[in-house]
Amino acid sequence: MLALRLTRAGRPAVQLRRLLVAAASAGTGFLLLASLGHALDHPEAPSAAALRLAWCAAPLAATVYLALAVARTDPGARPRPGLSAVGLGPGRLMALSALTTALSCALGSMLALLVFLHLRGDLSGMPFDGAGADFLAAGSPLPVPATLTLLTLLPAAATTTVAVALRPRDPRPAARRSRGFGRFGAYGNVTAKETFGAYGRFGARLGLRPPAHTDEGQRSGHPRAGDADGDARPGHRHTGGSGDGERPGHRSADGDPHPAGTRAAGAAEVPPRGRSRAWGRVGADGDHPAPDGTNRPEAPAPDGTAAPEPPDPDGAAADAGSGGTPADLPWGVALGTAGLAVQAYAGRSTPAPALAVLLGWLLTGTGLVLAGPGLTHLCGLLLQCTRPGALRLLAGRVLMTEAARIGRPLGVVCAVASAGYATTVLQDGPARAFGPLSALGVLVVAGATLATLLTAAVEARQCRAGTTAALLRLGAPPTMLRGAAALRAVALLALFAPLTLGIAGLSALPLAR
Amino acid sequence: MEAPPDNDVLWARSLHFTHRDGSPGLTGVSLGVREGEILAVSGPRGSGKTTLLRCLSGLVPIDAGEVWFNSSPVHTLGPMARERLRRDRFGWIDPEPVLVPELNVWENAALPLMLRGAGRRRAKVAALEWLERLDVGDKARARPHRLRHAERQRVAIARALAPGPTVLFADEPTAPLHRADRTHVLRTLATAARSHGITVVLATHDPDTAALADRTVALLDGRRVHTVHLPDAPDAEGRAACSLSV
Repeated sequence: MLALRLTRAGRPAVQLRRLLVAAASAGTGFLLLASLGHALDHPEAPSAAALRLAWCAAPLAATVYLALAVARTDPGARPRPGLSAVGLGPGRLMALSALTTALSCALGSMLALLVFLHLRGDLSGMPFDGAGADFLAAGSPLPVPATLTLLTLLPAAATTTVAVALRPRDPRPAARRSRGFGRFGAYGNVTAKETFGAYGRFGARLGLRPPAHTDEGQRSGHPRAGDADGDARPGHRHTGGSGDGERPGHRSADGDPHPAGTRAAGAAEVPPRGRSRAWGRVGADGDHPAPDGTNRPEAPAPDGTAAPEPPDPDGAAADAGSGGTPADLPWGVALGTAGLAVQAYAGRSTPAPALAVLLGWLLTGTGLVLAGPGLTHLCGLLLQCTRPGALRLLAGRVLMTEAARIGRPLGVVCAVASAGYATTVLQDGPARAFGPLSALGVLVVAGATLATLLTAAVEARQCRAGTTAALLRLGAPPTMLRGAAALRAVALLALFAPLTLGIAGLSALPLAR
Repeated sequence: MEAPPDNDVLWARSLHFTHRDGSPGLTGVSLGVREGEILAVSGPRGSGKTTLLRCLSGLVPIDAGEVWFNSSPVHTLGPMARERLRRDRFGWIDPEPVLVPELNVWENAALPLMLRGAGRRRAKVAALEWLERLDVGDKARARPHRLRHAERQRVAIARALAPGPTVLFADEPTAPLHRADRTHVLRTLATAARSHGITVVLATHDPDTAALADRTVALLDGRRVHTVHLPDAPDAEGRAACSLSV
């Protein structure tokens, strides 16, 4: 009931997204039913029916993907910290969004069944003068269990996916205590797993410098906090209450209106910083090994009050959470080129083997999907390079951060678009019949992937709403924010459109000869 | 009617503001902010401090009353003109340091300057200078999520101070901090404002924080009060009546 009420109270944009899911689900359900009807009508050719059923996997996957994206942007299932005490905790919200997804998908399946029955003539007379009798199996009765199985397939898959994807997770990273293999011949646990030969690779040791640098910050920061603590105690003894607990530099700066006090305080911190930098350099060079290892950068500050440096996996997880560099780009490129190579190889024999062509398509599509986030990140990187102003900085950095969220659906859209383009290029030669079912399938797949991309953009916008509000409070003109968004879209288009066209042309090239 | 003093950089007369849902915000608040002073707006939570600051800085249009900045009316300006005024003349510090998470610290601090059209190099120099002055210069290349809360708040202060605003609105800038960090942040803010002659309107519910200011304006339930006679914190109500010893 709660899910129904929350569903009913949604705003028009939200309802439109749910209706899109229902429409895609209806299309997929109709395709599934049509394959069933074809099998009923042609009981002598089970392999063709199985092939038709297998082709339904593409619309099914696209619809499930769309349902997941819509469930992610659903404001009804947003985490509500205030309502957690009422019982709307993360687990219940996950159940709610799964239920909403099931509702829209079931609605679509019902619609598909109604349309199918109507076309069959079970409800009224047969429309279109019986033109669709081929896949409707109008003569034979419809088996109920098969119909129900096919129709519940999509809602079940979508609900399960949404529930698994939105399950409440522990915000703390899982402590992995498994012993990893360290550098060859080294004892003890190393934080990062090193592959063979990674130790001496160029630049591998340069990455260790920034932790030392942040350690400087900690090191020069902790005595500062200790100072403030130590001064705060006499401040309480004075009972003046005028905030005596302050550093000497600031106290002097308070007397005369000049920032020299803070500058002096800043200058006073230089020696420890320089010293720790020197330590870091010695440790990194390895010329003067530390006698007891206490002056390694990981050593805690001598006052003992310093909290230990946060472990590196935390930082890595935070980086990944805030959209660090996606690591799938090499895999994507490798898979994509492998797929193109397979297709070129399959195109050597004149009746190209269907399995090899399909495998090539699958590999290329997977490669595009994998490479999407990396390419988006690269796009943002190029946008904000070489001394950017505010516009390019905002556009590029946001693109880099949102690379995982935007890039994956964008890769899917590219894969679908290149497949569609190559198919049309290949089709205009032999001019095979492009039936209504194929048209429906293409429509469902293309529409669902496109809607997924737009929904992902909406999700990114929702996630950045707080930052946008802060920017507006800062006085950033809304035209500039819109300009940044437009710049992002143009940059993505400029990178992905030629890529899609190129891949489509390359994959159509060996088959068209 | 009393004429405002000449050195009032910002003054408001009988401000009335009602929230969009109809709950009362401000009822007839008048105040003047002199140039270069630190004015504390004190009062308990819900007394309209943030609303007053938002009205004064032109973030929200007021229902009735007047707001004047440098002898020019703010309450008659349109949204675009108010936005330009906010960008060019006003600074704003939130209770929570809302930094742009994608930019690193110095880019965050330089963002208002870049939004004003300053060159990147100039903006960077100014931002780094302010960060150094506020003791976060060594974190200038880190992302905001690497910083602690107090450091992020200092970055937000540097961001507000870097373009050299005429008036800086600080809305409880130290509310979520511990006392050591709180004094540090406040002192740096006050020192920077005094050394550069920046007028600060500081909303706070903390009397220790208000002691740092030149003047204090007390608000209670959306009105300006001059003498607050709150009852002393009594025992819990009805506790004595229910006690067995009485």
